[in-house]
Amino acid sequence: METDTHFPDRPTPDEARAALADAACVQESTAARSATPWPLWFATVITAYVALFPVAYGGMLSDRDWLLPTPAWTATLAVSTLVYLALFAYAGRAWRRRTGVALRFDVLPKTVTVPLVTGLPLLLVGSAWAFKLTGRSAWIVAASALAAAVSVGFHLAFVRLHRKAGAR
Amino acid sequence: MNGFDHLIHAPNRLRICALLEAAGEAEFAVLQEQLGLSASVLSKHTGALIDAGYVEQRKAVRDTRQRVWLRLTAAGRKAYQGHLAALREIVGP
Repeated sequence: METDTHFPDRPTPDEARAALADAACVQESTAARSATPWPLWFATVITAYVALFPVAYGGMLSDRDWLLPTPAWTATLAVSTLVYLALFAYAGRAWRRRTGVALRFDVLPKTVTVPLVTGLPLLLVGSAWAFKLTGRSAWIVAASALAAAVSVGFHLAFVRLHRKAGAR
Repeated sequence: MNGFDHLIHAPNRLRICALLEAAGEAEFAVLQEQLGLSASVLSKHTGALIDAGYVEQRKAVRDTRQRVWLRLTAAGRKAYQGHLAALREIVGP
């Protein structure tokens, strides 16, 4: 068992290198745990929500009834958002219980997360406005498909990162 | 040696700090499992880090059992990062 004493005032370069390597090793294995992907059911919920959002928001913004009356789209968006937030809270708690670490959103490289965090809201909201201004439903259909593909891609990136980090 | 921290330099404490920095917050049992330490050894080291104000703990009940979650304080994160910088300085370019 390690004691609290007997550490020299200044470690040698080799000792310092070994300590740094040890810390890096612990951080890598912890990163693998932090990169545990959402369970499939919640990844499906996220995908369904981002796919529904541009359609429901577009229907809500539309000047005339599109497929459903505008209030129905408003209700759809409100209910789906509430359900999504409730499921997110539940999934987050379950994830923390399962992994034993804090839920973090910064485990993927910033080159992936920054475009996602800025681009996805722009896509979801912007396509609905483009639909309102042009009346072309292709905007929201394309945004819905793209958002679903991004969600699936993001989930697969987490799965791959988790496997890669766990294999080290 | 600027930033070198004797309290953190003890191998198990350095590893505890490394894990908590990477995890943000971690359950006591996870630290035990990841670091391969007994509960008593881990308690001793986390106790020293808590006494120094480097680590804080939070208790949460799960499945009727109390779980302890640990995280680095701002002072602990700064001390740990300063210590790593000091080690890198010793290693040299």
